[in-house]
Amino acid sequence: MTRFIVLRLAQMAAVLAVMSLVIYALIGLMAGDPIDVMIASNPHLTAADAARLKALYGLDRPLLERYLAWAQAALHGDFGYSRLYMKPAFEVMAPRLANTAILMGASFVLALGMALPLGIAASRKPGSAFDGCVNLLAFAFISVPSFWLALMLILVFAVSLGLLPAGGIATVGDGGVLDRLQHLVLPVATLTLASMGGHLRYVRAAMIETLGQDYIRTARAKGAGELRVLLGHALRNALIPVITVAALSFGSLFSGALVTETMFAYPGMGKLIYDAVLGNDYNLALAGLLLATAMTLVANLGADIAYAAVDPRIGQR
Amino acid sequence: MSAELVLARTAPWRRKRLLLPALVLAVLALAVVLGPALIGPAGALVDLRHRLALPSLAHPLGTDALGRDLLLRLLLGGRVSLLVGIVAALAAAGLGTAIGLVSGYRGGRVDALLMRLTDGVIALPLLPLLVVLAALDPAKLGLGFLARSEDASLYRIVVLVALVGWTTVARLVRGATLSLKAQEFVRAAVAMGARPLRIMVVHILPNLASPIIVATTLSVGEIILLESVLSFLGLGVAPPLASWGNMLTGAQETIALAPQLALYPGLLILFTVVACNFLGDGLQQALDPRARRE
Amino acid sequence: MRWAACLFVLFLAAAADAAPARPLDELAIGITQYPATLNPVIDSMAAKSYVLGFVRRPLTTFDAQWQLVCMLCVEPPSFENGLAQKLDLPGGKTGVRLTYTLRPDARWADGAPVTTADVIFSYRVGKDPKTGVAAAELYRRITSIQAKDDKTFTMDVDKLTFDYAAANDFEILPAAAEEAAFADSASYRIRTRYDVDPTDPRLYDGPYRIAEVAPGSYIVLERNPYWAGPQPYFRRVTVWAVENTAALEANLLAHGIDMVAGELGFSLDEALAFEHRHGRDFHVVYKPGLTYEHVDLDLDNPILADRRVRQALLYAVDRKAISDELFAGRDPVADSFVPPLDWIYTDEVQRYPYDPGKARTLLEAAGWHADGTAPRRNDKGERLSLELATTAGNRTRELVEEVLQSQWREVGIEARLKNQPARVLFGQTVTHRQFDMAMFAWISAPENVPRSTMRSDEIPSAANGWSGENYPGLRSEAADTLIDAIEVELDRGRRAELWHRLERLYADELPALPLYFRAEAYVLPPWLEGVTPTGHQYPSTLWAETWRRAAPSQ
Repeated sequence: MTRFIVLRLAQMAAVLAVMSLVIYALIGLMAGDPIDVMIASNPHLTAADAARLKALYGLDRPLLERYLAWAQAALHGDFGYSRLYMKPAFEVMAPRLANTAILMGASFVLALGMALPLGIAASRKPGSAFDGCVNLLAFAFISVPSFWLALMLILVFAVSLGLLPAGGIATVGDGGVLDRLQHLVLPVATLTLASMGGHLRYVRAAMIETLGQDYIRTARAKGAGELRVLLGHALRNALIPVITVAALSFGSLFSGALVTETMFAYPGMGKLIYDAVLGNDYNLALAGLLLATAMTLVANLGADIAYAAVDPRIGQR
Repeated sequence: MSAELVLARTAPWRRKRLLLPALVLAVLALAVVLGPALIGPAGALVDLRHRLALPSLAHPLGTDALGRDLLLRLLLGGRVSLLVGIVAALAAAGLGTAIGLVSGYRGGRVDALLMRLTDGVIALPLLPLLVVLAALDPAKLGLGFLARSEDASLYRIVVLVALVGWTTVARLVRGATLSLKAQEFVRAAVAMGARPLRIMVVHILPNLASPIIVATTLSVGEIILLESVLSFLGLGVAPPLASWGNMLTGAQETIALAPQLALYPGLLILFTVVACNFLGDGLQQALDPRARRE
Repeated sequence: MRWAACLFVLFLAAAADAAPARPLDELAIGITQYPATLNPVIDSMAAKSYVLGFVRRPLTTFDAQWQLVCMLCVEPPSFENGLAQKLDLPGGKTGVRLTYTLRPDARWADGAPVTTADVIFSYRVGKDPKTGVAAAELYRRITSIQAKDDKTFTMDVDKLTFDYAAANDFEILPAAAEEAAFADSASYRIRTRYDVDPTDPRLYDGPYRIAEVAPGSYIVLERNPYWAGPQPYFRRVTVWAVENTAALEANLLAHGIDMVAGELGFSLDEALAFEHRHGRDFHVVYKPGLTYEHVDLDLDNPILADRRVRQALLYAVDRKAISDELFAGRDPVADSFVPPLDWIYTDEVQRYPYDPGKARTLLEAAGWHADGTAPRRNDKGERLSLELATTAGNRTRELVEEVLQSQWREVGIEARLKNQPARVLFGQTVTHRQFDMAMFAWISAPENVPRSTMRSDEIPSAANGWSGENYPGLRSEAADTLIDAIEVELDRGRRAELWHRLERLYADELPALPLYFRAEAYVLPPWLEGVTPTGHQYPSTLWAETWRRAAPSQ
């Protein structure tokens, strides 16, 4: 098992390195002069420093050299200065990361929390009216454009009913817990509904498949109560694919968070990347995108480990 | 397997499930192709004196922020959204088929590498990456001439979406290739000394029609969603070309005044994607011999 | 389940009503942009001048009546009061020597007086080419500054212009605080204490000083204890940067902020919509202004080089309808670059009322034939197709673009829309003249001589390091002569005549398509008095000490 983890970690590091090179190259292809911008916003630079860095990073150097120079600094935690915020890029990202974590975490828990009972209930009577409804619901949530869902929620709850705020993380000058929670409701609701569909389908499908297995029939024949059958036997086995799929959906959850944050002016990582790209803030865009990719890879790794831990058939490789 | 065979072998209740979404899509396609001609070009002109008008005989759904007929804009937007969806899906299917075919046939290291690549792309946070890709300066890639054409935004969105939308097709094609590889006629061809490329293209590829069709249909929905969100963010189809996504771009600001501008394009996206997903799902169950009864 | 839902709704309702009660002597203002820098001389930004208007005072400025007034000086110099003297310069040119006396009670927020040492330091900063100040031309004109004593200094300017007394953009920097940062002038813009430590009291000489800064979010201002003018009513002012106007509106309604600045707040249509819904609870003030929204045309483009085409472009557009329908008639249509409120304005210029028929005639005459294909073609088979660029993400501009495009299409002109982020548009496209048509706005001051935007030696090119703002590339001897003459004409009557001639030339030549002058919308609470919009680039915050809460007698 340890060997498995170590191997996967090594693979992840390799993938991350390659991805960072690719992203570095891509950022360089954005409009404008990236090198000037990247080194210019640092208040601690002297003129000599700037000249030296320009020579080091200059656009006339081969891509690989530039990348290695940047990577070296990055490994020491120096991601350069953000021109939009006049602060080290890393400092800008930290609080936004926390905000996005709250958003994604809450949505993930809620989405899974709703998908599990619904999916289980639907799987008990496949083909029934209830099952048909759940299936339709799942399809609808998979197919709905999340930004439109956000618009509709804003229309109903913020504009028409006036119950919830249409954007922001807190009322300026307030920021208390109640106020922040109030501002979280719509963004979390949007992201939850948008990601729930996939989970619902997988839970239902996995449960149906599991419930058709022989050992379930055996358990029922032996007189086990329905609840015990469902939760004790079927769910445990159905959870294997569900966990992996859920963990693998981190990437799409992040994408969903980008849209949600932009719609609700919620200061998170997704909106940060979007603003950085549009504002030609190369350092910030680079750092943000890399962080997002790294987090996704870690989530994948987590999924692999969880899968290996839960499924005894995998560990022995 | 041909389409007729598929339908013939499908149980009646499954046929209904396939037909309904197919019908919806067909009606939609017909509407966007013929509709604008029926309404007439006058509706596309900016008419500032009649902005955000309520529905009337002249304008069955009212007008938009610049006085253009909303129904016409929805249909024209549908043309673009559906066109981009189909073309991008086909492009993605092409890419995915190539990858899945090679991966499944070759096996071994190549397969492992390509599948890890596929898994990687599936797991990536796509939208942030696409935001960066959309911000690339075509001139720096030597494609400056493309950028100056009027349909530049269309080319860009098709390329972007195809770049990330091929994974479903790749996976399904790989699975089908693996099972085809073991079949008699392929083994015979190998024994006769045919080159791998020939085997893949001449023998295996034609039999991949079903998985490719299923996978492509399944991916169209996802692709339409991707195009709509990118256009909404201003990184996809650019005005004056309408797409359902970019029709929603300004809707947030006028949502109090004109909620219908936000409602209709989104509803259309929803219905189209739901239909595509149902169709793809239905096709998958119909064509998959291992499909279980529900 | 039901009681959980009940509880939830109750909690929402409770939270919705919980508005933070603010002390009566505090004010919260919302703006849509956070200043990229707080240094007065680097980068010109509306957000920065707005905030700095609270905490710094210029030497002179234009007030709400568009008259020149002294802020840090005692009296504006003039020939009549002897504080201005003609200087004969070599080469037969005439310069002027101006004498300014700083107010004796002007002090930085740490108590130190504002002295001529600060003035001389500021001159050094502005003059140094490596500093990269925004108003380089201003410093170029000043040949020397001599201190007579701690408070009085003379300024020698190489040209006697009619606005000789206006030193509005000559920012006085505190020598004591900034000397160290200026040690290496090339890195001054990054090391300036205005950004490194904005709460340093030595940086501010206005009624307020900056007490707290949260970059990207808010700035807190508190009274300057050494301010000698009238004591400001509000003890504490917080300026919040809320980028999203929907959030701005939400905060306004929830009383998180009290007012939204017109200088950079709601766009006109947003303000109109807001007034429609909440006009009873708020006071919305519209001030027509000097923001000149226009479309610069690249005169070196062979299609646009023909004046008839430029005129056709303007005839084909119904600008009145745009103003009436999109801006409720609050943005007056522009006929030239001078706004109707400016005293030098004349309406006796070539007008271009909406006339698509005339546009078509002009295009035909210019050799562009409508042979059934769209767009028109000339005899060489070339298409009448141009690119139109503007700032991406600006909904109003995007709407106007689509209107222009649609109306041009009706007369056979094809306009391809190419929007870019503001940084790219202004940093590259427009500065390097890589556009056909570019739609954006100039914000300016009353009677602002268009030297950098119209003179033939101000056309940006690789040879001159892309300096100058004559983006269309207007090369007109008549315009050059008029501009030079206006600058030095001290007699108002004669000067007005020259201005009229320049406006007529502009309307005839059309180096740009005049669209309209943007009005600004201020959203104020009913209890706030004293906020006086100026309508030009010098913000209303320069009179922040007069803002107060109305006496509760209503």
